Formats: sequence, C-alpha cells, structure tokens
Amino acid sequence: MSEKLLLKVPVEVFEGGNWIKTEAAIYSSYIQLGKKEIQFKQIRDLEYSYLNDQEAVKILADSEYYINFGKYQKQVFRFLAFNLKADKFAVYFISPAIRGGVIVSNAKWEKGYLAITENALWFLSPNKQVRIALEYLGSVGKEKRSVGGKQRVVLKLTHVDNNEVIVSYVLCPETTLEMLEQYINQLIEQQKPKEKLSEIEEQVLTMIYSGVDSSSIESILGISTEELNKIYDKLINLGLARLVKIRKEVELTPRGVSFVDDIMKKAVR
Amino acid sequence: MVRVLIVDDAAFMRKLLKNILFTGGFDIAGEAENGKQAVELYKQLKPDIVTMDIVMPEMNGIEALKEIRKIDPNAKVVMCTAVGQEQMVKTAIKLGAKGYIVKPFQASKVIEELKRVAEL
Repeated sequence: MSEKLLLKVPVEVFEGGNWIKTEAAIYSSYIQLGKKEIQFKQIRDLEYSYLNDQEAVKILADSEYYINFGKYQKQVFRFLAFNLKADKFAVYFISPAIRGGVIVSNAKWEKGYLAITENALWFLSPNKQVRIALEYLGSVGKEKRSVGGKQRVVLKLTHVDNNEVIVSYVLCPETTLEMLEQYINQLIEQQKPKEKLSEIEEQVLTMIYSGVDSSSIESILGISTEELNKIYDKLINLGLARLVKIRKEVELTPRGVSFVDDIMKKAVR
Repeated sequence: MVRVLIVDDAAFMRKLLKNILFTGGFDIAGEAENGKQAVELYKQLKPDIVTMDIVMPEMNGIEALKEIRKIDPNAKVVMCTAVGQEQMVKTAIKLGAKGYIVKPFQASKVIEELKRVAEL
C-alpha cells in the first residue's frame, strides 16, 4: 500500500504474556505493526486498558491487540477513535452534563460526532473521546432544553461511569434525533435482562446503588439473610451486580464463651 | 444533632433516606407521606431541614415548599428529584429551596448536600 505515513513510533505490544518492544507506523487507513497490518475499518472497539502494570490501548479488530504507544498514547487513541468502524452522526453534545445528580458546572456544548460501534457508543470531539460501553447505557429520551436562548428538543442519555449515573445531551436535527432515539433504545433493550425484577428485588438494587449495607437492607425490608442472599444471587446471575465480599456469620465455641466470661470478670474487678 | 423531616409518598424511599441520614449522623425528626402532612409536621416538629419529594398526592412538594416558607421564611428545604425533573428543581430553587438531591440516591451525595445546607 502506498499511503501517507502519519506517525512512526516505538511501541510495546503485549504478546504471549510479555510486552515486546517494536515499532508502529500509522498510515491514513491502517497501522503497520511489525508484519501485521490493522486496517482502521476493521477496528470494532477501542479502549484504555491496564495490563501487567502498563497502560495500553486495547484494539479489537481481526483479533485483540494491547499496544502501549508511550507518549503518543492519547494522540493515537484520539486518531483511532475518530477512525473506528462505526455509525457516525454529526451532533453537538454535552457529556457529562449531570454526574451523580449534580450539574457539571463547566459543561458546555461541543461540536463533534456520536459514533455507535457494536460494543459502545462514543462522543467524539477534538477535546473529548468518551466511550460508553453499551451495557452501561441506562435510558434515552427526548427533552426540551434552552440552547442558546431557544427551546430545542435534545436527546437525553443516561449512562453509568464509575458507579455514578451520568446524564449527557445530544443536539442534532430532529429527524436524526428521532432515528437516534430509536436506534439507541434498541441497543438498550438488547442489553436489558430478559427476566423482570420483583418490587423487592428492585428495592434491593436501589439500596445497593445507594450504598446501604446488607444488614441495613435486611432491616429496612424486613427480610432474612437467606432471602437477601437469594436476591443477591439473582442480581448476580442477571449481570446486574457482582460479588465483592462473602459475609461471615459466626457463633462462639464453648472456649469463646468462656473467654467472654473472663473479659466480663476483668471488667468488674 | 441536625433534625430532618423526611417527606416522600413511597415508604421505601422514606426508609432508605432514614437509613442514609441516620448513618450520616443526622437525627430523624419525623416522616410525612404527602405535602399536606409535611406542612402540619413542620409546624409541630420545627425540624432543621426538610427533604421534600416533588411528585406526591394531596399536595405536591412545590406547594408544600411554598406553604412551609410562608410559616418559616428561613426553612431549609432540600428537594428530592428524579432524573427528568430539572425544571421543577429550578422552580423550587426560585421558591427558596436550599438544595436538591437526585433519585436514585447515593448516600455520600445525600450526606454531602444535607451537610452543606445545614452548614456543618
């Protein structure tokens, strides 16, 4: 291929469990990595990743690549994000507009793209490349907002980042907005668990989000540890929660009881 | 200790807030399940802060806020809002609400906002 070489940079590529030093040549439509060529049109997903204590760009193309571009990491990431195999729509966006229920004070409209790949949705602008994995999308809907002093219909997107609910806004022509709403809604529906949650399961989920501990959940809902464990299991199986700690319940042995007896005696001495 | 009156028509939400506030070192002055009850309880209990849901039967949170501010112009009312109710929050702030928290709650954000309002 005779294409314009944009950047030649020493990189480290993760192969066979090790980081291997090599060189990457970035052309206008592909990356030359040793003997391998990664065509941009093959890149289905892209994200920052940590592997063996190194920050790398994870590229999902014909196979999975972990590449550390060193000091060019951000620059290359931005370039690749704009060249992903994606459905791209020219939009204005604010992301994040609200984080954890608090309005982001310095948030402003940016001109860029909303790109949709098979795994993620991206907000792309020269300053920002925000990747939202599809499983982190919460809801999409239209809303009226004042934009530049005029009431405009915008698309409101809720998603999750670092365990916080984020709200982002998209502004584009109304016909595109309608289509985007339907498209994103379909993606969200595909991610949703097929099974419905009961009221009590929804309440447990809400309390976990709020940071309420297991004992308090039991006491608030008036349920036993066994009942709560069953609900946890269901939430884990549905991919809505993950196990972080197994709670230990203990009772004293006769030796333990005698120890407590001694402690009490010491206290009254 | 700062005494809080919790106003929400959903018993579950009241229990959840109660737990969060109690853990955060606040005292629960009382609970109301609609705006009308909130106004009555405000007169009786004189809480330091009110957490006020917006959409409620009988009297909504905005109306209750107006009534409470008539009784006590210095009342500290924090609105509890759901995503999508930003317009109502703006109205409430204009009417004198001191802050807002968004459902679903994150305990740390709730505590932070109430401490800010209570000037702790």
